[in-house]
Amino acid sequence: MRQVEFIRSNTFLWAAAAAAALALFVAGLFAFIYWKIDDYLVVRSDRMIATQLNFMAELPPGRLNDAIYDHLKQDSRGVQYAGLFDAAGTRLAGNIERLPPHLDLGGRVRSVRLAQVGSSAVRDAVVKAGARRLSNGHILVLGRNVDETGEISSVVGQALVLGLLPAFCLCLLAGAWLSVRAQRRVEQVNETVQRIVAGDLRERLPKSNADDPFARLATIVNGMLDEMETTINALAGVGNDIAHDLRTPLTRVRLALERGRTHAATLEDLQDIVEKAMVGIDQSLAIVTALLRLAEIESSSRKAGFGDVALDEILRQVCDVYEPIAEDKDIEIDVEIDRKVQVRGDRDLLFEAIANLVDNAVKFTPAGGTVTLELVSDDRAVLVRVSDTGPGIGEWEREAVLRRFYRSDKMRNTPGVGLGLSLVAAIVKLHGFCLTICPAPGGRVEIFAEKGEAPREATASETGRVLHASLASM
Amino acid sequence: MSARTSEPVLRHKRQRLAARWANTMTQILLIEDDAETADVIVSELTERGFEVRWAPDGIGGLDCARESSPDALIVDRMLPGMDGLTVIEALRKDQVRTPVLVLSALGAVDDRVRGLRAGGDDYLTKPFALIELVARVEALLRRPTDSRETTLHAGPLELDLIERTARRGEREIDLLPREFRLLEYMMRRSDQLLTRAMLLEEVWNYKFVPATTNLIDVHMGRLRHKVDGPGETQLIHNVRGSGFVLRVR
Repeated sequence: MRQVEFIRSNTFLWAAAAAAALALFVAGLFAFIYWKIDDYLVVRSDRMIATQLNFMAELPPGRLNDAIYDHLKQDSRGVQYAGLFDAAGTRLAGNIERLPPHLDLGGRVRSVRLAQVGSSAVRDAVVKAGARRLSNGHILVLGRNVDETGEISSVVGQALVLGLLPAFCLCLLAGAWLSVRAQRRVEQVNETVQRIVAGDLRERLPKSNADDPFARLATIVNGMLDEMETTINALAGVGNDIAHDLRTPLTRVRLALERGRTHAATLEDLQDIVEKAMVGIDQSLAIVTALLRLAEIESSSRKAGFGDVALDEILRQVCDVYEPIAEDKDIEIDVEIDRKVQVRGDRDLLFEAIANLVDNAVKFTPAGGTVTLELVSDDRAVLVRVSDTGPGIGEWEREAVLRRFYRSDKMRNTPGVGLGLSLVAAIVKLHGFCLTICPAPGGRVEIFAEKGEAPREATASETGRVLHASLASM
Repeated sequence: MSARTSEPVLRHKRQRLAARWANTMTQILLIEDDAETADVIVSELTERGFEVRWAPDGIGGLDCARESSPDALIVDRMLPGMDGLTVIEALRKDQVRTPVLVLSALGAVDDRVRGLRAGGDDYLTKPFALIELVARVEALLRRPTDSRETTLHAGPLELDLIERTARRGEREIDLLPREFRLLEYMMRRSDQLLTRAMLLEEVWNYKFVPATTNLIDVHMGRLRHKVDGPGETQLIHNVRGSGFVLRVR
């Protein structure tokens, strides 16, 4: 089973294919070499035959027989053919049995079937041979058996086998090795991932120094795991915070009820205690409600209900809602709007976000101060700025205030759930806007919206419609 | 499963009082699957003089609504068998215009639910205070004064919607626009408990929970200061822990 898997593994199949391609290529190369060498040898022997033929033809007839004899004697391999015939075709000297028919007597070398003297071969060998008629009428034939090509081909074949077979095996071995290595690494990753799934979040994929794709993949996955571990730990932290924040009012409720059960003497006493308990429960519910709202906003399901929202309108109404409470605290609220602006969004949520910022600003600005709401826009961007003359948010707290349940130590005792700014942050993020908390002194929080998204200036007719709508709602 | 009249309440002592008005009593149908929640709601509404029938699921509730034609419906959004909004849609298809209060668990406040407010219905997200539920049911049952009128009257108060002026008897009251809107809403619903959330929703038209809890109280304090002058009978009353009433009777 495992072997089949291994053979069918991709890496191995690719290695086998590469080996086959290599084998084909090498075979082709060897065939070419064979063909080239063969050609060369034949041409060379033809030239030699022609030269020898010319040389012997010039010899005086008395020395010709000796020359032929010498020529054949020097040939140890028995590939040389030579023969001298008289005009009638009778053999005078040499090892050629008889004069072959259709012989070109002009000295051109051609393939001819020649019989050797004393040869027991059934068929005469095909040799390359040339012939000339001598001045005395005799015919001189010289030939050479070029069947050496067979030898060459066997040599080439042997070389092929000797070279190719190990190469092919090497290829397969390399493929197998790579395949096993890849599988082992996948197995390693699998084991690690299983451990992570089982809950060990600190586990990481094995690192290697090599710069191969696998190592890079491991780096990417490890980065992702780092991110997830941080998020999950943060969530767990939030869970602890929630538990703590819920426990405090619930403990109060429990204690009050417990004391009430044993100590309340009159109906008024009991009602008093129930009242206290309800305050505690309302507080717990407020926390749960705020968290659920946060989750709802963060899940972006409200994006479906986006419409055109007149920001200037919202700013004025937030001011309208908060003016009396600010006046009670002797704080002035200013609204500065340079022109009407519409953005795409959820009007209830945007109102809530800006109202939360103003709520905070009013809460933390000392008497005699000012809270300013500004709407600044140009053709490309819109900026909503809520600034106040309060203490502002210190550098070290700027990140923290966006966390859920964060409440600075000095405001531990002011009422509130501690989700205000994280709610604002979630709403701003849902809209694809950008939230900036500017450095102290003086509180300043900005919401920045790019106009590319959809924000655009209200046209005259739209402004009319918005005004009409606001009158109708009065 | 057919709807049944709420059994647990029959034992209640107030029931005797309510029974005397049985013929003229306002009928409310509650469709809610959680028996404990339903029980508390039924008790509370019965004590306040309503006749309440309870159906624990959507299909039974729809049948009950069709045969008994109640004056108002309280419908939970999530119901076994048939979704609460589907029940309402089915009724509307039959041309039944009974006002509906939808109880919705948070996270399920989608556009369909929010759209209810435009249709004269209302919704309330769980968890809610009982008093909030009662106030909203009463608001649903008492259709506000005809909105085509240009002058509103409530006791000694008179509001000119064209001139945007207000007077109490002979005394002219100088109101800011937001105070005018607030008083207008209260006069349209005089002698009715108005919760803070209702005021925020109706006067400013935003559904949100302010971080500062006494936000509406401050507004109301300003308005009361102007409406109830020294030596005059108090008209705007604070109902402890729940909201405000403009009492003219």
